[in-house]
Amino acid sequence: MPFLKNILSCRSLSIVGLEKNTGKTVCLNYVLRRLHELGVSTAVTSIGVDGEQTDSVYATAKPEVTLYEGMYLITSERHYLQRRCVSEILDLSNQRTALGRLLTARILSSGKALISGAAATAILAQQIDQFKQQGVQLTVIDGALSRLSLASPTVTDSMILATGAAVSPNLQQLISKTRFVCRLIDLPEVEPAIRTALSQASSGIWALDSDGLAHDLNIPSVFMLSSANSDLFRYGTTLFASGAVSDRLLKILAAKDEIKQITLIIRDFTKLFVTPEVYNDYIRRGGKIMALRKSHLAAVTLNPTSPHGYALDSHTATQALSEALNLPVYDVMKIESIS
Amino acid sequence: MLLRDKLHSDPGFQYIIDALNLISAAGRRALLDFPFLTSPEAVNAELDNLEAVIGVVSVTENLHTVSEIKHHLMCLHDSQGTVANLSQHSVINEVELFEVKNIAYTAAAVSRSAEPLGLKEIFSLPDLSDVFSLLDPDQTGLPHFYIYDSYHPDLPDIRKRLKQLQARTDDPEAATLYADLFAQHNDIQHSVEASLSQKLWASADRLALAVKRLAYIDLLFAKAGLATAWNFTRPQIAVNDGNSKSKIQNSKFTQYSALFNPRLLHRNQERRLRYQPIDITVEPGLCLITGANMAGKTVLLKTLGIAQLLTQFGMYVPAESATVTLVDDVLFCIGDEQNEMNGLSSFASEIIKISEVVQLSATQCLLILIDEPARTTNPVEGKAIVQALSDILISRGSLSLITTHYSQLGVPCRRLRIAGFREDLATAALSPENINLFMDYSLVEDNSDTVPQEALRIATLLRCDETLIQKAQQHLTEESNQ
Repeated sequence: MPFLKNILSCRSLSIVGLEKNTGKTVCLNYVLRRLHELGVSTAVTSIGVDGEQTDSVYATAKPEVTLYEGMYLITSERHYLQRRCVSEILDLSNQRTALGRLLTARILSSGKALISGAAATAILAQQIDQFKQQGVQLTVIDGALSRLSLASPTVTDSMILATGAAVSPNLQQLISKTRFVCRLIDLPEVEPAIRTALSQASSGIWALDSDGLAHDLNIPSVFMLSSANSDLFRYGTTLFASGAVSDRLLKILAAKDEIKQITLIIRDFTKLFVTPEVYNDYIRRGGKIMALRKSHLAAVTLNPTSPHGYALDSHTATQALSEALNLPVYDVMKIESIS
Repeated sequence: MLLRDKLHSDPGFQYIIDALNLISAAGRRALLDFPFLTSPEAVNAELDNLEAVIGVVSVTENLHTVSEIKHHLMCLHDSQGTVANLSQHSVINEVELFEVKNIAYTAAAVSRSAEPLGLKEIFSLPDLSDVFSLLDPDQTGLPHFYIYDSYHPDLPDIRKRLKQLQARTDDPEAATLYADLFAQHNDIQHSVEASLSQKLWASADRLALAVKRLAYIDLLFAKAGLATAWNFTRPQIAVNDGNSKSKIQNSKFTQYSALFNPRLLHRNQERRLRYQPIDITVEPGLCLITGANMAGKTVLLKTLGIAQLLTQFGMYVPAESATVTLVDDVLFCIGDEQNEMNGLSSFASEIIKISEVVQLSATQCLLILIDEPARTTNPVEGKAIVQALSDILISRGSLSLITTHYSQLGVPCRRLRIAGFREDLATAALSPENINLFMDYSLVEDNSDTVPQEALRIATLLRCDETLIQKAQQHLTEESNQ
C-alpha cells in the first residue's frame, strides 16, 4: 500500500505534474481506487484552467478518471453530461467556466468521467471547506500543467508530485529538475510565533526585528526594490516577502554584504519563481529561505516513458531519483501491480 | 424605461443600487428590469408591499424565518435559459431537469417558510407540487436529481449489468460489452429526458411565474434591508385632482425634510465630518438655485434626482419625511459633459443636452436638474442662454431646478439661495479639508435678483495666492468705479 497512509491524515490532496505526460491521471486513478477500497469518503475536482484549454482545443484529450460509488465530484456541465457512470446532481453553482457551470454530484454506480473545475485557487479552497463540513474525509484535486499554485498549503494539506521522462529524457537532468522543486517544497517552516507576528503583513516587504516584531518596510512590491535600497536591514536581516519572489530579489540580497545573516521568509513554495542558478547562488553565499507554511509532499511518482517514445529503465530511474530526493519514488505504471 | 437605463445617471444613485443585497441571480435581473413607475397607484402598491415586508423584517421573532427564506433563495439557480427552453417545447437535459426541480423545491420551501409571516399576496407562489413529484419519483423530498431507475423498466437491470461489467473492464471483451451497454443506457436516459420534458412543457408558464415571484421576494427583502439600515423613509405620493390636463397642476408639491445623499453622508462619516441634511419644497415651474461656491448646489440637484428615481423605482428615500410628485422622467444635466472622444467641447455637449431637455419638456412632465448651464462660454451669451432656458421652463408643467452664478437674469421665478458661508460657525482655521464646518447648507427663499459674490472671500480663506486675489480685487474696484 505505497504512500496512501501518508495522506489519510490529510483533508485535501493535490496531484501536480511537473510536465505533461508525467502520469498524473494514472496516479489519480490509483489514489482514488485505493481510497475507495479503504472506504474513505472522497471528493474529486480539478483546477480548471488547463483542463479547459486542452479540452476546448482537443475535445476529449484529457483522460477520464474512474470514480467509485459514494464519491463526490465537482465538474463542469459539459463534462458531466459526457460521463460514463450513474450519478446524481446535488448542486449547481453560479461559477461559470468555458465548459459551463460547475456542478456537484454523487456517484451512484462506478464509472468514468472527465473532471474540470474552478480556475481560481480561492474557489477550490472554498469547495474543499464545504466538503469538509459535509463530512467528506479527503478532497483530491487533479492538478493542471504548470499550475503549482493549488499545491499551496493554503489550498491543499498535502501533495503528490508527478515527474518523468517527459521532463527530460536525460536521467541526470530529470533528477536535478525534480530535486530543485522538491527542495523548494521542503523549505523549512518558521516558528508559529513568527507566523503570528506576520499575520497582518498582507502586502509588500516586511522585516522582523530581534524582538520578533514585524515592521513594514514600505516597499509595495519586490519588483519596486532596487539595489539602491540601503536601509533594507534597518530592523534586522530577517525579511518577509508577502507576494511572489523572483530571481531579482534573490540577486539583490545575494549581493549584500550581510548575505550570511539574511533569512528570507516567503509565504509558501508556490510563491517562489526562481531559477535553480540564482537560487543556488543565493544559498551558496550563505542566504537562508524559510516558508510561513510548509507543504506536505506525500509522494513522488515517476513515469519512465516520455511521449516522444524515449523510455528510462524503471528500476534504475526510481532508485536514483529516490536516493537523490531521499524520498520514496514510485513508478506510476507499476503502482497498480504493487498494490 | 427600466432601472438599468437609469443606473448610470448618477454615481450616488448607483451607490444605493449597488448596496442592495440581492441573493439570487434572478433577483438581480428583477432589479435591473424594474420599470420606472409613473402612476400613483403603481408606486403606492409597490411601496405598500415594501412597507409590509419592512414591518415583517423588523420584528425580532421573524428573524429566523426571514433568514430561512433567504437561505432558500440562495439555493435558487439562474434558470432563465432552462425555463425558456421548456416554453419553446425543447427537450431539456438532466442538468436542466435538475434546475426545474430546484425551482419547484425552492418555491415550495419559500411558501412553507413564509407562512407564519402572513403577507399572502407577496409570498403567493404557484403550486408546483406536480412538477416536483414528476422529478422525484422515489419521493426522497430532496432537490437532488438523476434519471431515476423508476423512470424506465429497463434501467435497473441495465445499471446492474453495467456495474458488474465495470468491475472487470481489464477484460477487453467485458470492456466492449460495457461500451455497448452504456450506449444503450444513454439512449434510455435520453428517451426519459424527452418524455419528462414533454410532460413539463405545459408547466413552463408556472415555472416562469415562480421564478419571477421568487425574484420579486428577493428584491423586496433587499429594498427593505437597505431602507432599514440606511434610515430611509416612505415617500408620500402627491396626487393631482384629476381635472387638470397637466399631471401636476393643483397637486401637493414635492417636499423633503432632512433629505440626505447617502454616498456623501457615508463619505463624511468615514472622515468624521459633519453632514447637514436639507429641507426643500419643489414646485412645478422653475426654481433658480444660487449660492456661493462649495455651498452644495450640485449635490442638492443630484440628491433630488436620486430621491425621485428611488420613489419611482418603488423604494424608500433618504429623508426624514418626503412627499413626491411623480414625473415621466428625471433628466440630469450635471457636470462636465465634455467628451473629446466625440469631438465635442463641454459647451457643445451641454447645449445639445439642454436642447433635448427643452424639447422633451414640451410634451412630458419631467424633473429637470441643470447645473450651471452655459458656464463654459462667454458670460454675455451664456447669460442670454440661461434667460431663454428659464423663460421656456417657467411656462412648462415640469419641475425644473437650475443652479446659476449669473445675476440680474430678470426671470420672474422662484429663487432659493443656499445660506452658505458663515464665519461664525468657524471653530478652527479654514482649510480645503474642513471648509464644510463653515457652511450652512440650508435653503433660504430669496427675492433679490443678485447672486452671492463670495468667490474671492472663499479664495482668501483658502489661502490662495495673495497677488492673484489682490489683482482680482483691483479689477473689481476699477469696474465698479467705471
